[in-house]
Amino acid sequence: MKHGSVRKKKNITPYLFISPVLIILVALVVYPICYAFFLSVMDTNLTNRWNFVGFDNYLSIFSDGSMVRSLLVTFQFTIVVVAGHLVLGTVLALAMNKKRPGVGIFRAILIIPWLLPDVVVALLFKWIFNANYGVFNNILIKLGILEKNQAWLSSGMAFVILAAVCIWKGYALIMVNMMAGFQSVPEDIYEAAKLDGASGLQTFFKITVPTIKPVIMTAVILDTVWWFKHYTIISLLTDGGPNNATSTVSISIYKEAFSYHNYGEAAAGAGVVFLICWLISKIMRKVMDNGA
Amino acid sequence: MERRKKGSLARNRMIGNVSSYLIMAVGSCLVILPILWMAITALKTDAEIYQMNGSIIPQEITLTSFLRIWQDYDFVTYFGNSLLVTICAVLISLVASALTGYGATRYEFRGKGTFLSFILMTQMFPSIMLLVPFYKILSIYGLNNSLVGLCVVYISFTIPFCSWMMVGYYRTIPTELDESASIDGATRLQTFFRITLPLVRPGLVSSAIYAFITCWNEYMFAAILLTSDKLKTAAVAIAEMNGYYRIAWNDMMAASMVASVPLIIAFVFMQKSFISGLTAGAVK
Repeated sequence: MKHGSVRKKKNITPYLFISPVLIILVALVVYPICYAFFLSVMDTNLTNRWNFVGFDNYLSIFSDGSMVRSLLVTFQFTIVVVAGHLVLGTVLALAMNKKRPGVGIFRAILIIPWLLPDVVVALLFKWIFNANYGVFNNILIKLGILEKNQAWLSSGMAFVILAAVCIWKGYALIMVNMMAGFQSVPEDIYEAAKLDGASGLQTFFKITVPTIKPVIMTAVILDTVWWFKHYTIISLLTDGGPNNATSTVSISIYKEAFSYHNYGEAAAGAGVVFLICWLISKIMRKVMDNGA
Repeated sequence: MERRKKGSLARNRMIGNVSSYLIMAVGSCLVILPILWMAITALKTDAEIYQMNGSIIPQEITLTSFLRIWQDYDFVTYFGNSLLVTICAVLISLVASALTGYGATRYEFRGKGTFLSFILMTQMFPSIMLLVPFYKILSIYGLNNSLVGLCVVYISFTIPFCSWMMVGYYRTIPTELDESASIDGATRLQTFFRITLPLVRPGLVSSAIYAFITCWNEYMFAAILLTSDKLKTAAVAIAEMNGYYRIAWNDMMAASMVASVPLIIAFVFMQKSFISGLTAGAVK
């Protein structure tokens, strides 16, 4: 059926078609990554100090414990945020699944956070939770819940608020994918399940979930990898504080490079992050392929 | 008996309807309230911004902030920079990824599988990993602190996803169309431009929106790579307002609104094809 066989003879045309992307990816992704590896085995300030140190950078980022600590924070952060996206995304997609009047408007509103620039989201919530003039304090005091202003973003609540903001920003991607997934389940399967006397919950977990799994899988893996390495909102909202409570690996790598000018160690840290992202995607794919 | 069952079914449907609307309404409120606060702040006067536990509803509505961002700050330049870099990156990504989508679905060739998984893999690279090498590499080629350099970086972000999306789109277009075109004597390029390109338009639209959002919203690289004030993008300029001694929250929120509105408008108009594009790779 495939006419490919006709064209399989040695032909450079397909390579011409893919060459722009191939060249760009090699020049802009492969080359920088090789360069990053080169930097990670150097002790350098990027100008006049270039000493080969082997794997010392990798050893030192793990030996002083700060990398391990920020990895733990990152795992915690990613799990909370992605779980939040999944729960919110699923609930909202379920609510919008049936054709009801007005659903289109709700869908348009609910997708807005995903469109807003990270910078805008971070600063907006920084303003809302501002210690002196923030509306959050203001409302809580007016309602009599709070007695005096709280510096939320430098309190023990910083991590919770940060996670909530990131959930707010990102749930829409999962929601949209869930909606597409729900739509892809054939109606007659539901009819059959109903005839067999399955309950709503049973239908959802035994029929809907397995059917949409492949659709959701890609979205969840991408979401996990994205938030694992997220930088902008964390940097602007808490900048890793208070007391490194929200200092994820992206924040610590950034500071390592551009505050302390340890470019070699920063590159080594970035390499570790990549390895972890890659492992996460592998493991998640495995687990999801086997489970349920 | 029969009637009772019908009654409970109707009641179930009622509960379903009510709870669905309730969920959608609560969700929408949680989205709208912060954005409303952004708008209210942008419309407040300086005095009202710095009033501890003042009134939530503005006592005096003013458009000063919306004027100031153009007059006191150089947001004309900043938005211009953002727009220039974004549009260049989007156009280059679209052309390159459309060609790849065509090539990778219309031909069998050695290394195709490797090439496709290579594209997918490049999406996994954490951008923070590229930050330090790009910082150095661009300076080697004299592209640091330049919009061209920033555009180059953005292309590396958008190409993998756009290519992946376009390959998915081209797969849905039957190859028989190309065959009949080539029987009619059309050349490869003619087939590409005249026959298939119009058919993958929704894919191009969603790739374009995705790329636009990615570039328009990017902050980390722009903040590190651009040092001169004239070259700042809108995202960097807004973020920098956060560092002032006395933060002008109303001006900042006004600039934020101006930076967000184009995306929301673009999205409203192209919502359908964007959502279908975003999930096209997955649903099959």
